[in-house]
Amino acid sequence: MDCRRFQDAIQELVDGTLGPIRRSELETHLDGCANCRALLADLRRIRDVGETLERPAPPDRVWLQVAGRLRQEGRVTAVSRTRHYAPLGIAAALVLAVGAALVMLLPGVRGGSPASAPKTATVQSGNAAGDQAVQSVETEFRLAEQHYQNAIAKLEEAAKSDQSAIDPQTAAMLQKNLQVIDQAIAESRAALKAEPLSAPARDSLFEALKRKVLLLQDTIALMNEMRKGNAAGVAQIVEGSNKS
Amino acid sequence: MKGGQRETSTGPSKVTVHPSAARPGAPHARADEMALVERCRKGDLAAFEEVYRAHAGRLYSVACRMLGNPTDAEDLLQEVFLSAHRKLDTFRGDSALGTWLYRLATNLCLDYLRSRAGRTNQLTEALDDEPGLADAGSRGLADRAVTRMDLERALGKLPEGCRAAFVLHDIEGLEHREVAEVLGIAEGTSKSQVHKARLRLRALLSE
Repeated sequence: MDCRRFQDAIQELVDGTLGPIRRSELETHLDGCANCRALLADLRRIRDVGETLERPAPPDRVWLQVAGRLRQEGRVTAVSRTRHYAPLGIAAALVLAVGAALVMLLPGVRGGSPASAPKTATVQSGNAAGDQAVQSVETEFRLAEQHYQNAIAKLEEAAKSDQSAIDPQTAAMLQKNLQVIDQAIAESRAALKAEPLSAPARDSLFEALKRKVLLLQDTIALMNEMRKGNAAGVAQIVEGSNKS
Repeated sequence: MKGGQRETSTGPSKVTVHPSAARPGAPHARADEMALVERCRKGDLAAFEEVYRAHAGRLYSVACRMLGNPTDAEDLLQEVFLSAHRKLDTFRGDSALGTWLYRLATNLCLDYLRSRAGRTNQLTEALDDEPGLADAGSRGLADRAVTRMDLERALGKLPEGCRAAFVLHDIEGLEHREVAEVLGIAEGTSKSQVHKARLRLRALLSE
């Protein structure tokens, strides 16, 4: 039995592209050939498993690095047409969330908000939180950046309070992630220095500042879980940090 | 992208949709795509981020499977998009933007692998001992369970030419016509490369 002449037909059957006449010939052959039936089953299984392979998601830092490089090379200058810009509202809400998180995550650290502070930040377009009068976009931007820096300072202080709680390997990973974000912040600041009114550069800076806050929050949460000896909690946080 | 047909020997054929064809977010119409590319050419970072968000996942997946590790794939993904931005003026819209980006990514992957190996390979290298039906019975998977991990490991052992074709066709769900366009080969060659890859994987998985 010359099975070689049916090998292409078997592959095309797996592809779903075999015409009816050749399919009929192949089916007749398959009825009497265990080897070819086994080949067909194996190739289908390989294709089926291939279709279920997960698509790994790229870490967010890749986009930050791409954007940073494009700005460094001066290849992006135009302002986005449809940007929805409310950095002060986002930043102020973030400070409230950070304050509440500090109270929950690390007992003894003074947070900046009462226990009834919202757990998730909400954003209202064009709102300036607090009683600060916003005179111009420039003022709003500086206030928003200051809110982020305050949140970061508070979190860094908390993170440094007990660094021995984190194992060296995890600490190294967190430090590496922090360096990438700090680089993105530095690149965004450099871009803003060159073009103070560039909305993409500002957006990029806020994105990087937000990521730094999230990373520091993860660090504190990790310290808490390690202190409690909760391996599952630690693994979950580390996995989440690796993906971001 | 294709719809996969799974046929049984007795029942009627049943058309199922490959997971990649059911990705959220329909592809831009050509005119919308050209408009987006034009915005990118003018330096609109938000427009380029749209391109990134639409395509980075697929390209990273290809890079991971071609290069075998996520760290190299990250570096390559960054290089793909920086290169794409530099080459935007060369995109004419003859193919879909996704196909153009796949081509860029695959070529960079193959260049990287060849420079790492320190040798030059033909994309459609012949396999001296092409597995076939000679001893199909003893090579068969039989009742052995094939896990995703098994397949990922075996993929890493394929020659890069047929690995690229298999990844693009069987994993990413591209049609042979699209694979051929991405790899710069004939459609018939794409088919033979995918078929070759499957046979080689079968041999590797039954070891």
